[in-house]
Amino acid sequence: MPEKLWRSLDEWHTVSQPDEAEFHESPIGIGGGPDRRGFLKAAGFSFGAAMLAGCGRTVQKIVPNLVQPEGFTPGRPVYYASTCGACSAGCGTLVKVRDGRPIKLEGNPDHPVSHGGLCAVGQASILGLYDSLRVTQPAIGGKPAAWTQADALVAARLDEVRRGGGALRLLTPTVHSPSEAAWIRRFLEGFRNSRHVEYDALSASAILDAHQATHGARILPRYRFDKADVIVSIDADFLGSWISPVEFARGYAVSRDPGATRYAWHAQVEPRMSLSGTKADRRVIISPAETTPFVHALAEAVRTGGSNRPEIAELASHLRAARGRGLVVSGSQDLDTQVAVNRINETLGNYGATIETSRASRQRRGDDRALETLLEELNAGRVDMLIVAGANPVFDLPGGDAVSKARFLAVHAERLDETAAKAHVISAASHTLESWGDAEPVEGAASITQPCIRPLFQTRSWLETLAAWSGHAGPALDLLREHWRQSIFPKTKTDLAFDRFWEKALQDGFVEYEPPARAKSAAPQRETAPPQQSKPPEGFEVVLYAKAALLDGRHAYNPWLQEVPDPVTKIAWDNYASLAPAAASKLGVASGDVVRLECAGQTLELPAVVQPGQHESTVAVALGYGSRLSARFAKAGPEWIEGRPTLNEKGLVGANAAPLLALERGALRYSRAGASLARTGKRVDLACTQEHHTLTVPERLRPAAGGARPIVRETTLAASREARPKDAPVPELWPPDHPYPVHHWAMVVDLNACTGCTACIVACQVENNIPVVGKDEMRRKREMHWMRIDRYYSGEPDNPRVAHQPMFCQQCDHAPCETVCPVLATSHSDEGLNQQTYNRCVGTRYCANNCPYKVRRFNWFEYARDDRTANLVLNPDVTVRSRGTMEKCTFCVQRIQDAKIEAKRTGRPVRDGDVQTACQQTCPAKAIAFGDLNDSQSEVSRLMANVRRYRVLEEINVRPGVGYLKIVRPDSAAGGEKENG
Amino acid sequence: MADIALSPPLVTGYKNLTDVTEDVCRPMEQRPGAAWWAAFAVAFSMLLAGVVSVTYQIATGIGTWGLNTTVGWAFDITNFVFWIGIGHAGTLISAILFLFRQRWRTGVNRAAEAMTLFAVMCAGIFPVIHMGRPWFGYWIFPYPNFRGSLWINFRSPLAWDAFAISTYFIISATFWYVGLIPDLATVRDRAKPGLRKTLFSIFSLGWDGAYKTWNRYEMVYLLLAGLATPLVVSVHTIVSWDFATAVIPGWHATIFPPYFVAGAIFSGMAMVLTLMIIARKAMGLEAYVNQRHLDVMSKLIITTGSIVGLAYLTEFFIAQYGSNRYEQFVFLNRAAGPFAWAYWTMVSCNVLTPQLLWFRKIRHSWTAVFLITIFVNIGMWFERFVIIVTSLHRDYLPASWASYRPTSVEIATLIGSFGLFFTLFLVFCRVLPVIAMAEIKGVLKHGVHNREAH
Repeated sequence: MPEKLWRSLDEWHTVSQPDEAEFHESPIGIGGGPDRRGFLKAAGFSFGAAMLAGCGRTVQKIVPNLVQPEGFTPGRPVYYASTCGACSAGCGTLVKVRDGRPIKLEGNPDHPVSHGGLCAVGQASILGLYDSLRVTQPAIGGKPAAWTQADALVAARLDEVRRGGGALRLLTPTVHSPSEAAWIRRFLEGFRNSRHVEYDALSASAILDAHQATHGARILPRYRFDKADVIVSIDADFLGSWISPVEFARGYAVSRDPGATRYAWHAQVEPRMSLSGTKADRRVIISPAETTPFVHALAEAVRTGGSNRPEIAELASHLRAARGRGLVVSGSQDLDTQVAVNRINETLGNYGATIETSRASRQRRGDDRALETLLEELNAGRVDMLIVAGANPVFDLPGGDAVSKARFLAVHAERLDETAAKAHVISAASHTLESWGDAEPVEGAASITQPCIRPLFQTRSWLETLAAWSGHAGPALDLLREHWRQSIFPKTKTDLAFDRFWEKALQDGFVEYEPPARAKSAAPQRETAPPQQSKPPEGFEVVLYAKAALLDGRHAYNPWLQEVPDPVTKIAWDNYASLAPAAASKLGVASGDVVRLECAGQTLELPAVVQPGQHESTVAVALGYGSRLSARFAKAGPEWIEGRPTLNEKGLVGANAAPLLALERGALRYSRAGASLARTGKRVDLACTQEHHTLTVPERLRPAAGGARPIVRETTLAASREARPKDAPVPELWPPDHPYPVHHWAMVVDLNACTGCTACIVACQVENNIPVVGKDEMRRKREMHWMRIDRYYSGEPDNPRVAHQPMFCQQCDHAPCETVCPVLATSHSDEGLNQQTYNRCVGTRYCANNCPYKVRRFNWFEYARDDRTANLVLNPDVTVRSRGTMEKCTFCVQRIQDAKIEAKRTGRPVRDGDVQTACQQTCPAKAIAFGDLNDSQSEVSRLMANVRRYRVLEEINVRPGVGYLKIVRPDSAAGGEKENG
Repeated sequence: MADIALSPPLVTGYKNLTDVTEDVCRPMEQRPGAAWWAAFAVAFSMLLAGVVSVTYQIATGIGTWGLNTTVGWAFDITNFVFWIGIGHAGTLISAILFLFRQRWRTGVNRAAEAMTLFAVMCAGIFPVIHMGRPWFGYWIFPYPNFRGSLWINFRSPLAWDAFAISTYFIISATFWYVGLIPDLATVRDRAKPGLRKTLFSIFSLGWDGAYKTWNRYEMVYLLLAGLATPLVVSVHTIVSWDFATAVIPGWHATIFPPYFVAGAIFSGMAMVLTLMIIARKAMGLEAYVNQRHLDVMSKLIITTGSIVGLAYLTEFFIAQYGSNRYEQFVFLNRAAGPFAWAYWTMVSCNVLTPQLLWFRKIRHSWTAVFLITIFVNIGMWFERFVIIVTSLHRDYLPASWASYRPTSVEIATLIGSFGLFFTLFLVFCRVLPVIAMAEIKGVLKHGVHNREAH
C-alpha cells in the first residue's frame, strides 16, 4: 500500500487512522453480509457511468475538400442523363445528384421512348442503390470472397467446359443493351455447346413468335398508341404492367386529349379489372378460355363486317371505321391468338401506321420455347455450367428450381434472391446508378446509362463481369465507349468526331439513328387453326397478373413499392385472390376471408378480395409476392403493444403465385383452368387504404338531396369542346385578406388523362422524404403518402366504370386548416400555399379534422430511420419530420424556392415551367399541370379556363388551388353532363 | 316565502346546529372504514392504470390510440368534453342557483363544486395528452417569447378553449375555496393542536365569525357568484365552437352552444346525483341530502334532458330542411350507419330514460334515480362520441372514409380519468366538509316542531 499523503494535521488524523468500516479491504459481499456503503458506491458509479455514457456525443468530423471538384457547388444538384434499369422498358432518366449522391430520378423529357415520364417502379428503384442488404461482394459457396478468387474459379470452370465441350448456358432477362448483347456473343463464341436464353417473367413471347409466323421475323413491334384512333386491347394491361407502360401511357394520353382534333376510342377485353380496363370506354369481360374464340370471332367480324355477338360487332365496326388508325393488342400467350391478332391488324392496315416493325421494340425478347428447352436440359442434367444474370428463375418460373441441377451455377445478382442462394459463385452486381451501360429499348434509339456514384460496395456491372469472364477484363467505360465507337457511332451518320458525339450522347442520354432495314422475308403463310369449340372448363380459371408497382417481384425488396396501394384494389403489402362479387357470394366469402386455392397440384392460401368488374369464373392472383427478398420487412413499421407485423406467418409479404404458371406449348401461360377454391375459415385484415365505396353513398343511407356527390365529374366529348362560361363571382362576407402580389401557385389535374398508375405517389415519397409505415399502419389508415389516388366506381358492380382522382393538399385560399390551428403552425403564404411549420406544430390534429379532403398526414410514431445506408436517399432540401407533427403536400415548395432563387440569380422572372412538382414531373400521361395563376399565359391559367375544369367541393367555398378536368366519357354512354360519375 | 312554507323542509330529522357540525365533521375526524378503503383501492388502481397508459402513450406516440388519418379525435376529445360537461353542475348550483335564491342548493353545493374542480382537472388532462408533442403544450398560451414575433392564433377555437377552461378552473376553485372558509374555521376550532389544526388555521385565513367578517364574506360570495355565472354558459359554448366553427358536416351547426350547455348541465346534474346518492348513504348524511333534493334535481334532469332531446330532433330537421347532401348523410349515417349502436345508446340513455322521471314514484325512489343517472352519464359520454366520431369518419370524400376502434391504451386512459376523479373525490370526503355547514345552518328550521314556520 503506498504511503498516504497529508496536508494538515487534521487530515493526518483521518488519513493515518483509516476507518475500518469505510476502507475495509476484503471484497464486498464476502462475510459480514451485504455492505450498504459498498453497494451504494457501486450503484452510484455504474449509474454515473451510464449517465455519462448517455451524455457523450459521438465525435463527427466534417473534412472539407481541399480542392473543390470542378463544376460542383455543395448544395446545388447536378443532373445526369441516364437510363432507368428497373425493368426492360428502358425509359430515359435524369439523375439528380446532390453533394455526390443520387437522390432522385426524373424522367428525361427529351427521351424518344418515355418522353419525360417515369413509372412508380422507376421512381422507387433509387432506393435499391442504398439498400444495405445488397450482395456487397462476390461469394463462393455462400461465403464472401474476393473478386480475384471468384473470377479465377469461374475462369477455371469455363476452361473445363470449353475443353470438354460441355454445355454452357447463359440465362438472362431481355437484353436490350447493345453492348451487353455484343459482349454476350463474344463471351459465348469460344464454346462449342453454348447458348444464351432470354426470358421474361412477364413474357410476351407469343407476340414475337406470332410475328415470326406472320412477318418472318421474331420481333416485338412497337405499338404506337399515340397514333391510334381506336384501341382494342385484349387482356393487355398496357397502362399498368405490359411491356412499356410509360411509353404507352404517354401515347394513350396523346390520343385521348379532348382538346385535340381526334379522340381515340378504347375497348378493353379482359377477365379482371386491370388498370387499362379502368380507363376503357367499353369494357368486355371474358374469361381466359374465351379469349381465343373471341379473337377469332373478332377477326372474322373485322373481315366480314358483322357478327352475331353485339360486343364483337361493336368492336369490329369501330375498327373498320378507323382503318390504318386502329390498334389491336393482346397480352395472350397463345400463339394462334396472337397470329389472329396480327391478321386483324394486317387486314385493317394498321401495320406501318400504329404498329411499327421497322423500328421494332427490344423491350421484350424472351423466348419461352428456348426457356422450355433449357429447363428440359437442366432437368436431364445436361447443363455443365449455367450463368444466370439479373434473373430469378427459381422464384418467378414454374419448375425454376431446375437451375440448381446445373453442375455449376454462377449468378450475377444484386441481392441474395432465391436463385442467388443456390449459386456456387455469386458475382455481386452493381446498381444501375453505379454502372456504365446502355440500352436500345426501341431500334434506332440507344440510350446510355452512366454511373452517378462510385459503387458503394465491392460490386461490378454485368458488362465488366462479362468481359472479365471472357478474359478481357477492363473498366466498363472503356468497354462501352469501344462498342459505341464501333457499332453505334457509324450508324448515326453524324458529322461530329467520336469524342464530341460521345459527349453529346452522354449529355442527352440517348442518340437516335435510322435502324438498318430488316430483310423483308416473305411471310410464311400460317393458317390459323379454326378455334375448337371446347367445353367451358370446370371450376375456376386462375388469372395471374402483375401489379403496376411490384411487377414480377424483382423489386420485392423495395418498401416503397410494397407500400404503394394497388391502383384498383387500393391494397398494399399483400397479394390476394380477386373474385367477382357473384363468385364471392356463391362461395360465401367476403374481402379478407382466407381461401385455399388449388390448381395443378399447387395449393395457395390467400385472402379473398371481392373485385367488381371481374369475370365470374376467374380468380386473379398477383405475381411477385412471397419473395424471400420481402423477409426483410419483419421490423417494418412502428412496434407497440397492439402493433401487428408486416409479414405473414411464413415471414414473407404475400404468397408466390409463380408455381401456378404453366410453361407449356412453347409459352409461359398466365392463366390456368381447373382451379378450385375453398374457404378456410381464417380471416386477415387487408391493408386497404380505401374501402370499396362507390361515389354514391350506401343505398340505405341515401339522403333526400341525393346520394351521389359531385366529386368526380364527367362530361361528353361534345360538351368538352364548348367554350367555358364565365365563373359567376361568389359573394363574400370575408374581406379578401390574402393578396397574392407576385405568384399564385396552382395546379390542374386532368382526370381524363390520369391512369391511376401511382407513379406520382412514389415520386412524391422520394422527393419529400416520406417514411414507410408498414402494413399494420396502412391497415389502420395511417398511410403517410402525401398524395393518394382515390378510386371510385359507378354503374353496375358487374362491370362498373372507374374514375381515378389524385388527391392531395388542395392549397385552399380559404383554408379551413389554417383558422383552427391554435399555434399558427399552418399558415397562408402570399403565393397561395398552405404552409406547414413542422417546428411549431404541437399535434392537435384539429387541422386534419377540419380538412374536407382529409389530405393531412400525422406522424403517429417516430418512424424508423435507422438504416444509415437507406438514409442517403433523403432529400436534403426537405425536413425529416418527427413524431407528433402534422405534414402534407407542400406543392414541392423546395422546388419553387429553387426556381425562384435560380431566376433571381440569373436576373429574370420565374418562367412558366421552371417549377415542376415531383408528381407532375414523373406523370407518364402528363395529367398534372403546375404553375402561376398570376401569369395569364401559363399553362395552368390556360387549363383553369378549360371548359372541363371544376374544383372538388367548390360549394363549401374553401377556394381550393387545385382544379380538376372532368373525365370525358363517350357521348353515347354518358348522355350529357354528369355529376356523379 | 310562502313556497318554502309549503314545501317540505330542506333538512329533515329536526337537526339543531350542533347536530349539523357533528354530522358533517364526523367523517373527517375518525379513521376511514373498510368501505372507504375498498373504494379508494379501486379508484386508485384505476388511476394507476391511467398513469401507466398515458406514460406509455407519451413515450411511444399518439399511434398507440386507435385514431387514423380520417378520425383525428375520438376518445381523447370525447373524454374532454364529457368531463367538462360534468364540471358544469358545480357552478350552476353554486352560482346561478345562489343568485336565484334556491336554498335547497346548500345541501349539495359543496360536493358539486368539488366535483366540478375534479372534473375540470380530468378534462384538462386530455387537451394536453392528445397533442402529438404534449411537451410543447404551453405553446397554446400567448406568452412573451423569444421566438421572434411568434404569437398564437386567436382565430382558433382551441386557443379560446385554453382560456375558457383555465378561467373556469380558477374561478371555480376560488369560489369553492371562499365558500369553504367558514367551515374550515369550524373544523379548526374543533381540531386538537397539531398539524391538522395548523393547516386549517392557515387556510381559514383567521376567520373569527364576527359580524363584519360575515358581512364581507357574503358580499365576496355574492360577487363571485355573479362572476361565475357567465362561465356556466361560456365554457361549454366555447367548447362547442371547437366543432361549430369547423366545416365538417355534423359539426358545423349554430345550435351547438345552447345544445352543449344544456347537455353539460344535464350530465353534471346526473353526476352530482350519482355521487351524492352514494355519499349520503355512506357518510350518514341522509338528513341533508334528502327527498327534496332528489325531487328538484330530477326535475332539472328531465328539463335539460328534454332540451337535449329537442336538440337532437332539431339537428335532424335542419339537416333535412337545409338540403345539404353531406349534412343529410351525416345524420342518416349516425342513425343507421356503422355507429348506429352508439347513436341509439345515446338517444335511449339521454332522451328516453329520463322520461321515467315524470313519474313521482320513480322520482322519489333513490335506487331508480340512481340507475337513471348512471344511464344519463353513459348517454352523455356517447353523445360526445357520436358527435365527434360519426361526423369525422364519413365526411365529404367517400374515398377517405374510415372507421374507428379504440385501443387498450385509450380505454385505460378513460378508466384512468375516472380513477383520478374518484380518487380525488374520496380524498375530499375525508379531509374537507362535504356539506357547507355554515350555509346549511342558515336553512335549518329551528324548533319547527313547536313553532309555526315564518
